[in-house]
Formats: sequence, structure tokens, C-alpha cells
Amino acid sequence: MTEKAISQKNRLMQWVDKRYPLTEFWQKHLSKYYAPRNFNFWYFFGSFSLLVFVMQIATGIWLVMEYTPTANDSFASVQHIMREVRYGWLLRFMHTTGASAFFVVVYLHMYRGLMYGSYQKPRELVWLIGMVIYFLLLIEAFTGYVLPWGQMSYWGAAVITSFASAIPYLGEQILIWLRGDFNVSGVTLHRFFSLHVIAIPLFLAALVFVHLVALHHVGSNNPDGIEIKDKKDKEGVPLDGIPFHPYYTVKDLVGVVVFLFVFSVIVFFIPMMGGYFLEHDNFVPANPMVTPLEISPVWYMTPFYAILRAIPNKLMGLMAMASAIAIMFVLPWLDRSRVRSIRYKGILSKIAIVVFVISFIGLGYLGSEPVSTVRTLLARIFTITYFAFFLLMPIYTLMEKTKPLPERVTE
Amino acid sequence: MMRYLLVVLFFLCSSAAWPQNSVENLVLATAPIDQSDMNSIKRGATFFAANCMACHTLVYLRYDKVAQDAGITLDKMPINVSNWPFGIKPPDLSLEASIRGVDWIYTYLHSFYQDSSRPTGVNNLLIPNTAMSGILAPYQGDQVLVTNKVSLGILYNDTNWYDLLVLTKQGSMTPEQFDATMADLVNFLAYAAEPFHEEQRHLGWWVLGFLAVLFVLMYFLKKEYWKDVKKNK
Repeated sequence: MTEKAISQKNRLMQWVDKRYPLTEFWQKHLSKYYAPRNFNFWYFFGSFSLLVFVMQIATGIWLVMEYTPTANDSFASVQHIMREVRYGWLLRFMHTTGASAFFVVVYLHMYRGLMYGSYQKPRELVWLIGMVIYFLLLIEAFTGYVLPWGQMSYWGAAVITSFASAIPYLGEQILIWLRGDFNVSGVTLHRFFSLHVIAIPLFLAALVFVHLVALHHVGSNNPDGIEIKDKKDKEGVPLDGIPFHPYYTVKDLVGVVVFLFVFSVIVFFIPMMGGYFLEHDNFVPANPMVTPLEISPVWYMTPFYAILRAIPNKLMGLMAMASAIAIMFVLPWLDRSRVRSIRYKGILSKIAIVVFVISFIGLGYLGSEPVSTVRTLLARIFTITYFAFFLLMPIYTLMEKTKPLPERVTE
Repeated sequence: MMRYLLVVLFFLCSSAAWPQNSVENLVLATAPIDQSDMNSIKRGATFFAANCMACHTLVYLRYDKVAQDAGITLDKMPINVSNWPFGIKPPDLSLEASIRGVDWIYTYLHSFYQDSSRPTGVNNLLIPNTAMSGILAPYQGDQVLVTNKVSLGILYNDTNWYDLLVLTKQGSMTPEQFDATMADLVNFLAYAAEPFHEEQRHLGWWVLGFLAVLFVLMYFLKKEYWKDVKKNK
């Protein structure tokens, strides 16, 4: 740029900055937001979540242009998108793959927080807001899954809304209120469409913003779990911090390209993912008269579905399933350890996190398989170990001997 | 209501001439199809128009799209009969390849056999007591169910359709010709379920190629920026 052009740009920025804190915002959140320099592989998944969110909104906008949310026409309108709309198949496969990809990256993002104690003081609110986002995401995925109006859409909606009927006294009323009808019908489809494209995305967008504001207020944690703000130079810049932009923007771009590569392999070559991302039965139009032999939720909900099925009593099962999600909200107050990161925690915490991962994946697998005696037994064991990880945390994190923390970040 | 239907369904299944469990072990034959072979799809479409469209629809496959893509016109429209035999309407097949898979259809088309207890005179290994008639028998010929071969299948826990069925009278096609014709037909049904398949794969390679080049650029960009980070430490 010539000197003249630069001065003109400065003048424009000055004009804007007097009226809107644009430069201030840029500096606070990007060019002068100091992130620890030792972020590893696990720190990609926050950026990926944001990317997938934007992608879901963009593809969603175009899908809604051709989709019809009525019981008579929705199934055919999806086929219309797949066949007659130019690149309609691409938009839809990006959206369906995006749904599963969202949960992959969000689960890994949450696991990162779990490993490095990113929920500990002073980041409890970052975790809590994130948990609300996760919970809304489950509802968003469920309402979206109903929209193609295939057999799995219909019966999945029937099974999941029927959970409400287990609530004592008010169950039946709540069930009708949820469905807007005495059975799952076009009315249910239409309201789920409204929730899926307007209500929940609006809340999600707001919460993602709040999640980032909270994070940038307290600063990012890191794999060592030590506070980089404790060691600053004369200008008040953390010694182990580097500006998010350009360092992490260029680093995340590398990750984004790798992510998009894997994403594209699925979108262009294996969009159904062997029935895990798109279920075979959902290519059959919804039919209230024929119950499919096997009704199982999509993979990202199966861990909780397995907990529900592991308990013989319906109401108790529902409460266990709700508790499995609810208990994650209080995680910041269950961990009593003096250190944040798993690197410096004791052997008990390390065993616990391994048991937790095995339980969660195990439950996920069992929830997608038909019930059998052995599987039910396993699901019960994993349910106990899942809850034990959280409920025993105040004890084992206090009991164990932790390793001394380093002065500065390692690596 | 639902329980009643399930009970009916249970009795329908359990009354099958062939025991249900041995049919479950049936190994699906691999359909030898190449979805980029437009000539095979055309032959399949011709066969479908001549033999299947009397009963089955393909509502989501627009015929003008077939005409555009394959240069053919399917002139025989489905006959709309209000009263189907046994009250079972032949299913629409637009998405059959996505629901059942090509191997399942290929095996199903091969595994019809003579069964005098059925009103249609034929039965099927994959759908016991299927309502579909022996429309393919003139081409394939007559097959009968042999039970003495079953012990061999059960021993290894995998039974192929040809372990259970024996051709007693050849039809107008040799077994090889019949296999090829069925492959074409299945290929056509795969196309009907995913007309975008070829465009999807083709575009996919370009996208992956672009991302691979972009990766190299991004990798060196990151390396360039991060040089200072290491220098400072």
C-alpha cells in the first residue's frame, strides 16, 4: 500500500472508531488476546465447532429454500433437493454430515476441557455456558432429525417425546403439549421445524458469543493448567502468551484444511457412514401404521439411550438419563484438585478418566445395538462407572498426591 | 393397534415355509455393478421398463431426467390397480438401493424358488412368502429349494442363495446372462436412488485435490509465522 492509501485507511478507521469500538474489539479478541503458546492438537476443536456451526447455518438457509415442512410433502421435498436442486445433494450431505461432525468436535472439545481442567476456577462459567450450548445442540439435532419425515424421523420423535409421559400426574398433558397432537403428526413436524430453524439457532448463536466473551475475559487455559497471567513482562503481556491473531489464526487454518479434508471424504464418498450418519430406514417415508423392528437414536445420543435402557423402571431410567447430562453441569464443583491438568494430577484421576472414556464409548456402542442379557449387564456396569467418575471425584481428587506444577509452560 | 399389527406381522413371518433363522444367515451376493457404466444403467432401465413398471413405480426418479442423463425414454407408465393381490401394493423402488442396499436386491432377484403352497407359485429366500410373482422365472428358469445342502451351510454359518437353490429348468437366459441382466437392473436401481452419484464422486476428487494443495500453502504459512515464536523463547 502506498503512504497515501495507508493514511486514508487510518482516517476511515478513526472515523469508525469514534462511532463504534471496532479496533478495540479486534484487539481485545484477536490481535491482543494473548493465548498460551503451548496449545496442542486438542485445542483445534473449539475453532472447528465454530466452523461447523457457521457451515450448518449456511447450508441450512439454502435447504430451507426448497424444503416443505408438512407431513404430506416433506419426504418428497427432501428428494426434490437431492435430485432436482442444483448441488442440492451437496447442501444436504454437508448438513447431515455437519450434524454428526458437530458432535464429534464438541465431544472432543469437552474432553479437552475435562483433561486439562479448563472448567476449574475461574472458568466455571465458560464450562456452564458450554454445557447449555451442548444441551441445546442435542435438541437441535433431534428436531432436525425429524424433518426428513422418514420412518426413523417419525418413530424417533414418537419414542423421544413419549419420555414425557413417564412424568407422574402431568405426563400425558405434557406429551400432548409437546406434540401438539394426540400422536406425532404433521403438527409436530411443523413445530419442530420452527424450533430447528429459528428458536434454537438463535439461542445457540447468542450463547456461542457469550461463551467466547466469558473465555476472553478469563483467558484460555492450557495443557499444563497453569495461569500464564501470573508471569508478565514490563508491558503487561504474559511471557508465555502469544497474540491469537496471527499465530493461532494461521495455525487453526492448517487444522481447518485437515478437518475439511476428512469432512469432504465423508460428504463426497461415504455420506451415510454405513448407517451411522444417515440411517437406512430413514429412506422409507414415515408410516404411523408400521413400527420399524429396531428404533435407535443417532450415534451421538446412544450413550444416554443406553443408560435409559439399562434401568428397568421407565421413570427411574429417565431420571438416570437426565442426571447423566445434568451431572456434567456441576463438574467444576466436583473437582477439588489443587492442580488443573491431568498431567499433574495423581494416579487416581488418571485411572478415573480412562474408566470414564471406556464407559462413555461403551455406552455409545451398547445404545446403538439391540438389547441382550449380556449387553444389558454391560450397560449397567458402564452406567455405574459413568456416575462413579463424577460422584467420587470430590474424594479421589482430594485424596491423591499431585505432582509439582512448573513455573512456566512446558514445550 | 400397534400391538395388533405386530402380532399379525409375527404370524406372517413365523408362517414362512422356510425357517426364519436359516434365511437370516443368508450371505448376500456381491452385486457386480459399476455405477459409472452408463450403458449398464441404460440396459437396466430398459429391462425395468419392460418387466417391472407394470407394478413398481419410481416416483422420485423423473423420467425426463433419465432421458437427459441416459438418452432413453421410459414409455411404459405404471398401471394403477386399485386392488392388488393380497392387498399388498408393490413398493416404490426409487430409494430401494438406499434402504436395502444393492447386494440385497441382487440376492433377492436371484433367490426365487418354486413353491406350490403359495398362490403365486413362487417363494423367496430373503422375503419368505413374498407377494411378488415369479416375473423373472421366464428369464432365470425354475429353481427349487434343496434342503440337503443346508447342513453344509449351517456348519460354516454362512449360506449363499445358490447353496439352497438348484436350477431345474433353464429359462430364456443362461445363468451368466441372467447374472449380467440382474447386475444391470440393480445398477439402474442404484442410479434411481442416487442420480447424483457420479457427479458427487467427480466433484469430490477436485475438492480433495484443492484441499491438499491448500494444506501445503497453509502449512508453510503457519511455519513462517511461528518462526518468531521459537526465536523469542
